[in-house]
Amino acid sequence: MSADMKTRAPRGGMLVDGLAQVGDCGLFLLNMLGAIPRSLRHLREISRQIWFVGAMSLVIIMISGLFVGMVLALQLYYTLSIFGGTAALGTVVALSLYRELGPVITALLFAGRAGTAMTAEIGLMRATDQLAAMEMMAVDPIAFVATPRFLAGVIAMPLLANVFSLLGLLGAHLVGVTWLGVDNGTFWSNMTSNVDVWKDIVNGTWKALAFGVVVSLIAVFQGYTAPPTSEGVAYATTRTVVFASIVVLALDFVMTAFLM
Amino acid sequence: MPIEAVADALVEVRDLTTLLSGKAVFDGLSLDIPRGKVTAVMGPSGTGKTTLLKHITGQMRPDRGTLRVDGQNVPTLGREALYALRERIGYLFQNSALLTDYDVFENVAFPLRQHARLPEVLLRNIVLTKLQAVGLRGAARLMPSELSGGMARRVALARAIVFDPMLILYDEPFVGLDPIALNQVLKLIRTLNRTLGITSILVAHEFAAVRQVADLVHLIANGRCVASGTPEQLARGESDWTRQFFGGEADGPVPFQYPAGDYATALGFTGAAA
Ligand SMILES: Nc1ncnc2c1ncn2[C@@H]1O[C@H](COP(=O)(O)OP(=O)(O)OP(=O)(O)O)[C@@H](O)[C@H]1O
Ligand SMILES: [Mg+2]
Repeated sequence: MSADMKTRAPRGGMLVDGLAQVGDCGLFLLNMLGAIPRSLRHLREISRQIWFVGAMSLVIIMISGLFVGMVLALQLYYTLSIFGGTAALGTVVALSLYRELGPVITALLFAGRAGTAMTAEIGLMRATDQLAAMEMMAVDPIAFVATPRFLAGVIAMPLLANVFSLLGLLGAHLVGVTWLGVDNGTFWSNMTSNVDVWKDIVNGTWKALAFGVVVSLIAVFQGYTAPPTSEGVAYATTRTVVFASIVVLALDFVMTAFLM
Repeated sequence: MPIEAVADALVEVRDLTTLLSGKAVFDGLSLDIPRGKVTAVMGPSGTGKTTLLKHITGQMRPDRGTLRVDGQNVPTLGREALYALRERIGYLFQNSALLTDYDVFENVAFPLRQHARLPEVLLRNIVLTKLQAVGLRGAARLMPSELSGGMARRVALARAIVFDPMLILYDEPFVGLDPIALNQVLKLIRTLNRTLGITSILVAHEFAAVRQVADLVHLIANGRCVASGTPEQLARGESDWTRQFFGGEADGPVPFQYPAGDYATALGFTGAAA
């Protein structure tokens, strides 16, 4: 067991336990941030993790983005046609994707795909004494295992969210222009004159970055503190998805309220 | 038992007391590990041998007592000093603990890559030499999941010695080895000790193997060091402890049972007949 992180015994009382977990998680975040300078010595490990996390999630993100964009175009075309405003299809789709759906759905998919993998991997490393072995070889597992994965998640999330939104836009174009017959020029020009690139794309990217921080933090923390048994790792993996999803949705509301 | 201080002890344990889950694992343990020798630590299962090794490397801190390694009191060391000390200690885990992300070669190379900036050619030669020593040079490109338990232990051993440490801790290195591999590992422990002068602490249950390499044996039971001496002295069995442990008698000062409540009560027999 690492000197600075111990799995706490349950103290009874869900609220108390929950708050204690949040506190532990915060301390863990400080530990990881403090380890960033040392972790920069393991650049190879960081880039390996970015590749791993990004490549792992890329396909599912692209496919989901495409379909979400297509559905969005269908639904919004119907709604807009009631008001005779189908020319605004491109704008509405782009705004929904970049400001809301891109970051949120990417974060949820990311938690399910990359987050669970991080938790399970770190949990198993603990269970098989690999983390203890690193400590014995004078390599800090926070700097070598936790921080690189955390940073990889934080870096990959905004990129993935933008890929998602871009693919969504292509999907919407496919349905709106190719299938439903919205004019191609109108689709793009109406959109580019209404989407304030900096405000909307940058705000969406901030959101994605924040989601990247919380999802990666939860995933790495759950793995690092999982009881070293197969049951412990299994539960930790489930908790990653549940906690990450709830926190992402709640944080989305808060950030939207402030960023609008 | 009173312990006569060894003139040149690399590890010096005094009055070590450790409580785990309310149970005293060590209760005033004192012993010395002489420099440049192979010292075996033996004792019944669950007596705290692994825990002792964890204290020596600072992975766990005792509740009381001092533990000096090369003059430094380990429980009081900060992170930097502890890591500096660990770079000079090789540790063979009871369950190998290879890094599953890396192949055999990279596992053995891991400590070198982390702490030494070596030219790739030199690094390669060092790693291959260590793998050759454990007979697994041909397995360099296998992944840990493709190894048998015995092979994994030998890889872990190669990794533990890759830095030519001043002290090596072996936690049950013989478990799961076939007789040939066992002899190889014995020979390796002896060679490392005799030629490089590496101090070794060997935790093992196989007395036949231990007496071939160990210069000194400490027998731990009930949280204390109950007997110390050369393997021959202990084999003669002059105390109850050594008679039971090395004679393999089931009953004696060491209880076979983990402390438990009354057996009849546990089976639900109490008072039923009355
Ligand atoms: N993390 C822990 N929490 C509570 N008790 C522990 C912990 N680790 C070990 N123990 C207890 O400490 C005692 C010593 O354990 P240890 O692993 O050191 O034994 P050992 O001598 O290495 O045994 P073996 O020969 O079977 O490997 C055991 O009774 C065990 O129940
Ligand atoms: Mg043990």
